[in-house]
Amino acid sequence: MPMTPQTAQGKAFIRPCTVIYLLLMALTLVTWALGKFNAQIGLPAMTLSMTVLGIAMLKGHLIGDFFMGLRRVRGPWRWVVTLWLLLPASLITLAFMQAGQ
Amino acid sequence: MKYKSQSVAKLYFIAAIALFVGQILFGLVMGLQYVVGDFLFPEIPFNVARMVHTNLLIVWLLFGFMGSAYYLVPEEAERELVAPWLAKLMFWIFLIAGAATVAGYLLVPYAKLAELTMDDLLPTMGREFLEQPTITKLGIVVVALSFLFSIGITILKGRKTVVTLVLLIGLTGLAVFFLFAFYNPENLVLDKYYWWWVVHLWVEGVWELILGAILAFILIKTTGVDREVIEKWLYVIIAMTLITGLIGTGHHYYWIGTPDFWQWWGSIFSAMEPIPFFMMTIFAFNMVNRRRRNHPNKAAVLWALGTAVMAFLGAGVWGFLHTLSPVNYYTHGTQITAAHGHMAFYGAYVMIVLAMVSYAMPMMRGRKAANSPRSQVVEMWSFWLMTVSMVFITLFLTGAGILQTYLQRYSDQPIDFMTVQDKISLFYWLREIAGVVFLIGLVLYVVSFFIGTDDPEAVEKIEVDAETA
Amino acid sequence: MTDKLKQPPGDLAIWIFICAELSVFAVFFAAYAFTRAKHVELFNQYQQTLNTNYALINTLALITSSYFVVRAVAAIREGSQRGCARWLLAAIAMGALFLVVKSMEYQHHFSHGVTLSTNTFYMFYISLTFFHFMHVIMGMVILAAVALKARRGAYTADRHTGVETGASYWHMVDLVWIILFPLVYVMR
Repeated sequence: MPMTPQTAQGKAFIRPCTVIYLLLMALTLVTWALGKFNAQIGLPAMTLSMTVLGIAMLKGHLIGDFFMGLRRVRGPWRWVVTLWLLLPASLITLAFMQAGQ
Repeated sequence: MKYKSQSVAKLYFIAAIALFVGQILFGLVMGLQYVVGDFLFPEIPFNVARMVHTNLLIVWLLFGFMGSAYYLVPEEAERELVAPWLAKLMFWIFLIAGAATVAGYLLVPYAKLAELTMDDLLPTMGREFLEQPTITKLGIVVVALSFLFSIGITILKGRKTVVTLVLLIGLTGLAVFFLFAFYNPENLVLDKYYWWWVVHLWVEGVWELILGAILAFILIKTTGVDREVIEKWLYVIIAMTLITGLIGTGHHYYWIGTPDFWQWWGSIFSAMEPIPFFMMTIFAFNMVNRRRRNHPNKAAVLWALGTAVMAFLGAGVWGFLHTLSPVNYYTHGTQITAAHGHMAFYGAYVMIVLAMVSYAMPMMRGRKAANSPRSQVVEMWSFWLMTVSMVFITLFLTGAGILQTYLQRYSDQPIDFMTVQDKISLFYWLREIAGVVFLIGLVLYVVSFFIGTDDPEAVEKIEVDAETA
Repeated sequence: MTDKLKQPPGDLAIWIFICAELSVFAVFFAAYAFTRAKHVELFNQYQQTLNTNYALINTLALITSSYFVVRAVAAIREGSQRGCARWLLAAIAMGALFLVVKSMEYQHHFSHGVTLSTNTFYMFYISLTFFHFMHVIMGMVILAAVALKARRGAYTADRHTGVETGASYWHMVDLVWIILFPLVYVMR
């Protein structure tokens, strides 16, 4: 692919944020389908839950990095969204493990 | 002082401080009655002392808020106050009504007072903090409306700033929520439910907006930091205050017969109430560190910083201590509540009013910006005496509360209320001693107004000691 | 592009606000999960009554609106005030779609007599989604204010902190829903 000059950026090829956007939409569909059709797929409840939670973490991280622009930030603010995601996610995991017993 | 009409604030401030002294005296009487039950009985029974102590607090803080608004609004709006005569008239009406009410509490039995003031026509008496006779309540409404009128018109006609906007929202909320004092349903659950709309939504809702606005004003004036920066913080703080404070009302709904979901709503939202207070602390220190000038009135800056710290500790930390419903199940209505109440009111509201008095009074008494160094030293002594003794009052009451909760409600063999009160009397004695120190601090505060009045004014120093103040 | 910023885009104050908001939601999520652990069957049973199709539409709507907001920021960075305002309006429209779908969902449950007091699951479902619902409204108000200012020409390619501030808040609203959707609708 030929290099595009900086000024034409966004017109000549698809923007990174658009790629991320399409990825987020696809991941959302996966989560929804797992919920909707798990009767047919037959994943154990815990596997299903942890999969969709993992997908949500990934989506959250992408939103933080690309939409909120944190990937171009340094220092503690760089990780604010990711760290926040870990907090409820780990508590939720703990609670679901507790419930599974 | 830029505008002549600002001087009406002086009346309000003088009355506020006089009533403050009265409040503390009754507090000491009550504190002693905790351990010497028949002290001043039957002249001043405990319930009357308590009523006077709390009612005076509310009234003098209202005087303080009104005075602050009358001082701050003309300067922010950049015009004279609308109808300053109305402000003066309302001052006297409010003062006389307040004095008559307290005299009523002290001179006749409460039931008799209700009868004399024809409470049966519109029964509103007999509820904690809203003990005032119905006619006094009506008087409060008239005063509040006239006050809102002159403040509101002045703001609308003049320059509009975020500070005045937030202040106006706070003051309007204060007036609106007070109307629930007239709603007195038969159903006890509903009665309590709406009673909190006055009590909680005042102190944990709209009063915080007033606090934020006054603090922002003082910081703008004393630090010289850009108004834009300060206003932005104010926005964030009040948004957080409203989100957490309004739904946080739920922490009063745990045990009064309301639906279960309040256990969750109350716990979660009120647990977040310390956040805006914490932001306020960060905000105040940040602004003072970024200051572009060293304001000669160091006492005022000290009060402003003090309020940011003490409000966080008293309202934030001590509130959080017993706000979660599983904890509150045991601590409800114990001395923990009293500990929280004391430090929160002192930190959030007493100190902000004193900060405003400290900032404005020198100008209203003909100084350019500040009192003489000698007067400020006395005032700062009074700051430390009052603040440190309040910390001790809070700690002693917390100790009493923890012990009380354990002995009376948590241990395997719970003991009855009065026996427990005997067992924790040491804490009450210590609290009373701290209370005396507080009074000394207050006396010193009053003295600071009369010391060094002929000395030359403190001057702005170039970048040395505002921090050590 | 290699030199990194010290602070996230937008006003630092909004980020402190965002942190506060996120922690409230984190507490709410954890409360949901731990309460569920005590009533697994109840939660699993009543979760079935939720319509994941509505939730799917809503998730897609919020992600799309977030994307539009990203484009609005990109537009103002390129100096296009009109473009910025237009992208913001599109984002607000997506927010409105979210509100409509969510209201239909509420309508369905309320018409079946569901209230906050029906059971613990519904208590959490209504509380969590309603609290988020209010945030969507607040975010839309913020975006609308930014869009108006953008159209009046208040922002330029160099000075547009206001746009980034509003954008950051809106992404936060999206972010919360990203967790809320699997937690309440799918995880069992």
